[in-house]
Amino acid sequence: MGANLFSNYGEAVAMILFGIGFGNLLLQSNLIKKIIGLNIMDTAVYLFLAEKGYIEGRVAPIVVDGVQSMEAYINPIPSGLVLTGIVVSVSVSALMLSITIRLYRRYHTLDLDEINVQLLKEEL
Amino acid sequence: MYYMLYAICFPVLTGLFLLVFRGLKNRKSLLLFTAAALAGASALVVLALCLGQGGMLTLFNLTERLPVMFKVDGVSVVFSVMTVIVFLCAGFFSFSYMEHEQNEKRYYGYYLIVFGVLIALCFAGNLITFYMFFEALTLASLPLVLHKGGREAVMAGLKYLFYSLSGAYSALFGLYFIERYGNTLTFSPGGVISAEMAAKYNGLLLGIAFAMLIGFGVKAGMFPMHAWLPTAHPVAPAPASAVLSAVIVKAGVLAVVRVVYYIFGVSFLGGSWVQYAWMSLTLATVFMGSMLAYREPVLKKRLAYSTVSQLSYILFGLSVMDKEAVTGSLLHVLCHSFIKAALFLCAGGIIFRTGKTRVEELRGIGKEMPATIWCYTIASLGLIGIPPMGGFVSKWYLAVGALGAGISWFSWIGPVVLLVSALLTAGYLLPVVVLGFFPGEDACPGGWEKKEPSLLMRIPIFVLTLLSVVAGLFPGPVVDYLSRIIEKII
Amino acid sequence: METVQNFPAISILLCLFAGIISSGLKRKAARWVNILLVVAVAFLSIYTLGYVLATGASYVYVMGKFPAPWGNEIRVGALEAFTAFFFCVIMLLSLEGGRKKLADELEEGKTYLYYVLSDLLLSSLLALVYTNDLFTAYVFVEINTIAACGLIMIRQNGRTIKASARYMIMSLLGSGLLLLGICMLYDLTGHLLMGNIREQVGILSVTGEYHIPLLVTIALMSVGLAIKSALFPFHGWLTDAYGYSTVSSAAILSSLVSKGYIFLLIKIIYRVIGTEVFNESKIINILFVFGLMGMIFGSLSAIRENDVRRMISFSSVAQIGYIYMGIGMGTKAGMEASVFHILSHAATKSLLFIAAIGLTDVSGGSRKFIDLTGAAFRNKWAGVAFTVGSLSMVGVPMFSGFVSKLLFAQAAVQNEIKMLPALIVLGISTILNAIYFMKTVIRIYTPVEDLKYESITFKNMRMYAVTLVLFIILNVFLGVSSQPVVDLIGQGLAMFS
Repeated sequence: MGANLFSNYGEAVAMILFGIGFGNLLLQSNLIKKIIGLNIMDTAVYLFLAEKGYIEGRVAPIVVDGVQSMEAYINPIPSGLVLTGIVVSVSVSALMLSITIRLYRRYHTLDLDEINVQLLKEEL
Repeated sequence: MYYMLYAICFPVLTGLFLLVFRGLKNRKSLLLFTAAALAGASALVVLALCLGQGGMLTLFNLTERLPVMFKVDGVSVVFSVMTVIVFLCAGFFSFSYMEHEQNEKRYYGYYLIVFGVLIALCFAGNLITFYMFFEALTLASLPLVLHKGGREAVMAGLKYLFYSLSGAYSALFGLYFIERYGNTLTFSPGGVISAEMAAKYNGLLLGIAFAMLIGFGVKAGMFPMHAWLPTAHPVAPAPASAVLSAVIVKAGVLAVVRVVYYIFGVSFLGGSWVQYAWMSLTLATVFMGSMLAYREPVLKKRLAYSTVSQLSYILFGLSVMDKEAVTGSLLHVLCHSFIKAALFLCAGGIIFRTGKTRVEELRGIGKEMPATIWCYTIASLGLIGIPPMGGFVSKWYLAVGALGAGISWFSWIGPVVLLVSALLTAGYLLPVVVLGFFPGEDACPGGWEKKEPSLLMRIPIFVLTLLSVVAGLFPGPVVDYLSRIIEKII
Repeated sequence: METVQNFPAISILLCLFAGIISSGLKRKAARWVNILLVVAVAFLSIYTLGYVLATGASYVYVMGKFPAPWGNEIRVGALEAFTAFFFCVIMLLSLEGGRKKLADELEEGKTYLYYVLSDLLLSSLLALVYTNDLFTAYVFVEINTIAACGLIMIRQNGRTIKASARYMIMSLLGSGLLLLGICMLYDLTGHLLMGNIREQVGILSVTGEYHIPLLVTIALMSVGLAIKSALFPFHGWLTDAYGYSTVSSAAILSSLVSKGYIFLLIKIIYRVIGTEVFNESKIINILFVFGLMGMIFGSLSAIRENDVRRMISFSSVAQIGYIYMGIGMGTKAGMEASVFHILSHAATKSLLFIAAIGLTDVSGGSRKFIDLTGAAFRNKWAGVAFTVGSLSMVGVPMFSGFVSKLLFAQAAVQNEIKMLPALIVLGISTILNAIYFMKTVIRIYTPVEDLKYESITFKNMRMYAVTLVLFIILNVFLGVSSQPVVDLIGQGLAMFS
């Protein structure tokens, strides 16, 4: 168990980061901190993917010097997935930030609980 | 075959027409329309009974194994004849009674729909069809309970709704299992549970039978689910209470008949713990209903409690599962519906003319409206079971059946409870008569003013009272007919 | 390859293009593009359905020229095509029913955005239904989330913005878990296409290798999708999102968006993990238990609610619970019942939302029960439609809700262990449903003396009334002749494996 964990330390770190991000996104009441949590969570997944796709001693699959052997390169699919994922997470973060701006303009706070309190007063 | 469908659809469609259509503002034309619809529907029912005997009509399939189908058998005849008579009488009574109530058109609309649904219940050929119309009956009769509006009516309506729906679900629960373990869902005399299945899943099936009895028993006001009945029935307008108390509760009885004799079968249930548990519940209800009625000061509520008690007479007879007792039960179905409808209509007449609802206010009522109170007296005697009234014959059969059936100590405890309850019945019905005819010397120094209700109200009461007497004087043909039905199922 | 095989891919692309084009159009033009699009997609789907039924087998459509296991694929079976068709119908009716309200509630000049978002939403729903690739599924899950969030937020007030923030947060938590699950699955099997993963998972389960990671993966994906479809403990976001957004959004969100995720979950169970492996894992029992809890607690919250829109939203929680209960039974019958309930709930819940708005509109815009007294007399069509929807929810025969309850119960009876809890909770929840729905129906049919609010006539709401009638017909159709639909579902599920 311990040895396994040590040899896969990249994945272990990714999982810990995912946990941190998840916790932040779930528990923080400050919207900006939530978005930071979201980004940590997403990045952790990318780290996990990249770590899985990496093979010791090989390089990115860009053909240099005419070497075409499969043995020379790492698995390219996780890298592709990471790229797609980054695009998704950027757009999601942008949307979250825009919602945050709207809320801040209306209620002058970033705290979801305080917003809740103000909403109750509004009686809509 | 389609006569059955006509008999069901005609009242429902005319009822819907009344609810949706804006015209008929004139009261006279509304009454004419309703009268014509009631008469037409009754004629169609009679036609369907004459021509549709033994036929079967499958309408469509709900799912592969669940067809919606109708058929007419002996039990259908008994219940639909009762429905037709009471609905006609109460309908004509309401023409006069509803004059001062609001939303008359809505009332007649739902009245007709309930009529159609009840006929559909009588004709239902399998359990799923029965269940469908059982739910529909609850929903269609709800507006009759709610008719007066106001908080009391709404609370009573909700109570009625929730009791009925819980009961219906409990019954539906059984349907799921019968669909799986039974041969078919079609009502067949003697039951649909094969001996093999009955042996294999004995405990489970008995539990389900009990759940279904309790579930359908809700509609028939059986203890422990009886509390809705005395709340819901009295808040409706008097003719609607009459229909609710005399006919709609019988849907629960019909359900029990179908479940016990046409789904599970006597051979499966007879002698099991379910039979004894059920019997104890009915006897408890008989006694408790009479006690509660005895203590109740409001006349209509008193009559509703009496319904609770009388219905359990019927259920007790069914639970004995003996030929004589079941004959008594089915006979009591007829007698009780005539008598109870007559009593509620009398109470309605009293309310209509004097506005009095409590029993102690009725001092001298017999001087004011003698014809009505005479009918009340005769009907009461019938319900108590004094010969030669209808109630006597049915109770006689019940008692004889119970004594003759091999049901251990229930054979004598049953008749004793019935007897005690009959005394209580006298105790809660006759004070009106005594107070009404013998108000005492000083009650009204100015002489009694005649307040007899109109002829249109009196005739239905006369007819119903007469029927209850006739049933007692000449029970022969009816008993013959009933015993032929019962031959097949026991 | 036959032309008809291209239709699913074409319909997804069509939606995306329509969304892009609409962003440059005026309100009216965007509306017509949207209507045409939905109708066209419905026709394409029904045509595809006919083709699949005629050949009797599903087919795989390769996107581009890369074959498996590298390329991206679409897979079309009877259930997929039918669901796509059904989603289109519901979407069209929901948009039509809320059209008038849309004009009132949206800012001037922003209406075209609404159609852009709904085009995108439809594209992502179709992609979720059709795709055969897990990562594509993830991407479209996110597109779906963004579009749905836009649909909530487009009506600008504090409530909706906060609701969309909460919706986003919960959705992101869910999709984060889903993404992690997909990545782990990729790690375990080396594939992203569903068919290939299935083979590998089969091998893994036989050898017993990576047992715990596989369980964790299943758990991550199930929980992720459960959060997104508002299964009981994760339903906090739902009431605000459904309760305060514009009515079409509420109808679409409750009847389509959450159902899309559930459909994906069912696909994952059948096509990725395999029913045997899934049934053996403990996750299925967890879904079952949470489904049961949702059925009760959703209804209890609905009873306490004093706001009709929020009440209907809470009832969604209960209905989602039904669906998860069916999935949790782990039998074919249970799954069929769940899929049928997806359809029946979609038809009923959108009807209820649309009818409720008609009732609140004639009550001075108030959603409190006290103001709704007698609303059914002021808007007769909405009153009847609401009653039909309520009866269907309660499970009265002749309406679609009854058939799904029947199917659930039949499924429950076949499963000896889960039979009793399922039937008892079904019973309790039926009664609870009856309490709050019948309470509302009686309330709206209680006459009032003082006529505070004006009533509305048929002339002023032709389209609205027609939509309601169509919804009612759909409900009664599902309730009366359910057998063909159930057969189709069974056939589609058989094609899954």
